[in-house]
Amino acid sequence: MKAHVRLLPLFLLSFLALAACPLRAQDWVHTGTNLGNQRIRLAVADFKPVGAEAQTPSLKATFDSTLQSDLAHAGLFDMVSKSMMPESRPGSPQEISINQWSSMPTNASMVTFGALAASNGRLIVYGWLFDTHNGANPQILAKQYNEAANVEMARTVAHRFADEIIYRLGGGINGISETKIYFVSSRSGSKEIWAMDYDGQNQHQVTHLGSIALSPRISPDGSRLAFAALDRGGWSIRMYSVELGRMIGFPAGVGGGSNLSPAWSSNGAKLAFSSSRSGDSEIWVASASGGGLHRVTTFRGPDVAPTWNPKTNGQIAWASGRTGLPQIYTMSEDGSSVQRITDGGYAVSPSWSPSGQFLAFSWNRKYGPGDPGGNDIHIIDIASKQYLQLTHESGSNDFPSWAPDNRHIVFERRVGHRSDIWTMLSDGTDQHQLTRSGNNFMPNWSWK
Amino acid sequence: MNKAQHNSGDPELGLHPEPIAASATGSLVLHGILLAVVLGWGWAMGLFHHNDWGSQGEGSTMQVSLASDALPLPPTEVNKNVLSTETPSPAPAPPTPKPVEHIDDKAIPIASKVRQQTQPQQKQQPTQQKTQKNQPQPQRDNLAHYGEQSGSAIPHGVPKHGNFGPAQVGDSDFTSMFGWYVNQINQKMSQSWNRYEVDPRTPHGTRAFIAFVIHRDGSPTNIQMDRSSGSPTLDRSCLRGAQRIDTFGGLPPAYNQSTLKVSYYCEY
Repeated sequence: MKAHVRLLPLFLLSFLALAACPLRAQDWVHTGTNLGNQRIRLAVADFKPVGAEAQTPSLKATFDSTLQSDLAHAGLFDMVSKSMMPESRPGSPQEISINQWSSMPTNASMVTFGALAASNGRLIVYGWLFDTHNGANPQILAKQYNEAANVEMARTVAHRFADEIIYRLGGGINGISETKIYFVSSRSGSKEIWAMDYDGQNQHQVTHLGSIALSPRISPDGSRLAFAALDRGGWSIRMYSVELGRMIGFPAGVGGGSNLSPAWSSNGAKLAFSSSRSGDSEIWVASASGGGLHRVTTFRGPDVAPTWNPKTNGQIAWASGRTGLPQIYTMSEDGSSVQRITDGGYAVSPSWSPSGQFLAFSWNRKYGPGDPGGNDIHIIDIASKQYLQLTHESGSNDFPSWAPDNRHIVFERRVGHRSDIWTMLSDGTDQHQLTRSGNNFMPNWSWK
Repeated sequence: MNKAQHNSGDPELGLHPEPIAASATGSLVLHGILLAVVLGWGWAMGLFHHNDWGSQGEGSTMQVSLASDALPLPPTEVNKNVLSTETPSPAPAPPTPKPVEHIDDKAIPIASKVRQQTQPQQKQQPTQQKTQKNQPQPQRDNLAHYGEQSGSAIPHGVPKHGNFGPAQVGDSDFTSMFGWYVNQINQKMSQSWNRYEVDPRTPHGTRAFIAFVIHRDGSPTNIQMDRSSGSPTLDRSCLRGAQRIDTFGGLPPAYNQSTLKVSYYCEY
């Protein structure tokens, strides 16, 4: 009994000590900055229907909504809402009264308007872009389109007109309205490569292999699609020709081991991928036809997910596990000058921005015991190593891919058991979902 | 067997099994209770979420600054400069150096109407006298200067004094005709100029003036220092910012010259 009595105070002390440790939740801070200049205030007027054909109203509705959505998601404009616009629908420069659009409540700096007619099976669209503050010389753009009269061409014409406006007002960078996104979808039963327009329209299946196909990468000229496929021999890099509509050969992609995550250089000449044919997964580089295969990394630990610097094609960034958890590294194309980019956590799936300045990747900074879970998309300025978190507390975000205008990023978001493709501006705003059926993974934005 | 016998220390007494059954069981039970209490406490505390802002000693700091000013997006907020206003007061303005000028061979300088800028980002008529090129010009309007930050945008679109009326049709005051293009130049320069390259000891408000020429396709050439700020890092970063730009976007089709001269300042 004495021993028990002696033990009791010690037990009570330890109990009290343990009870005093509170549990902490993981918090984050979300902040933003003012970049110093203002968005252009743009009013998109409904186009005026001309003629009395039955198709015209529906085609016009498609055209108007597509044009509005393209310009709203471009990231350049402060859109005037429909309720603030004057009720007139000008169809030509003679019909528009500039002062109506530049005065309150509209207060627009720019206005786009025009006329649309569907006659004899042809869709004819006239569009103008006017500067409302320049009464003497307001015209900036005047465009005319003549295409087949169907919903698809109405959308295409709207995309083209939006691209012209974005090119003119966005500093000479081409708009992305006609680009495509390639992704993996399991809605057909097996994981196949699918493609869709950048706004989520027109989703269609591309490959019909019946096995598993992952990480699609379209070539810079849009003619070939490289991806990793699982077949009897294991994982190999396969090539699909979009022009021919069938698989073509890529001898470097089948060589034993697991071959994953292909990446095109921006001139379309080379393909980098991760292969474990030498025993340990390393980065290998081959020419686009499959020859000239050589190994580039020699590190212990897995080396996966390469991405080229699209501005210079002289550097590759990839994720390496040579220090334990995967981190992002950059190196020269021949394997020298290895530089570490991330300082901890769990960093995967790097994607190099078209300007060459940023890397977007998926990062779990608090990986480890007590991890609240979830990866988030970050972008990092490679020269200064300053980074910015783009997604917050919304599932697990992975596989970012830059758009060719350097202003948009597409990524995969997994919430519970559902995975979908989302897109956002490159500062993390305007996040919206593109796919809604099945499970969708690993998006890749086309080059043009 | 009692404890007295056990503790007697006589080795010849032989080995008796220690009477530890009771205490061992008691020890196990107590440990089990302790473990159950710790786990139960943890679970129970997890049900009540605390707001631990500012609690020290947990985790590493998270760096959340913007990667650089170079994200190619205009901001969503309006310029909150305390001096900015929608209704400029008619106060005399200090002379500001011109940021932009272009060459128009057909322009005839009118001595009575020296039409010069009210805000630094506007382009000017070059006069025949070359000596005037780098001097601040007298102001045309009595507008207070506001919203001036490094290459910050002119207020929405073009300033209202652009309505010259039909008599001025055919003049080529670039800003009044193509204010949106000036906005674009400002935007691209602010995106590509890296503030972190500048020595932090540089006093705020110093300006480095550079000059360059924009060609028809929008590419800048002839990038040179116009007036140094006194801080070599600021000068160099401003020059590099302009050199980094591939294109400002093609010159407006309605503008009928082949080049555009620009004078730009980077303010730290």
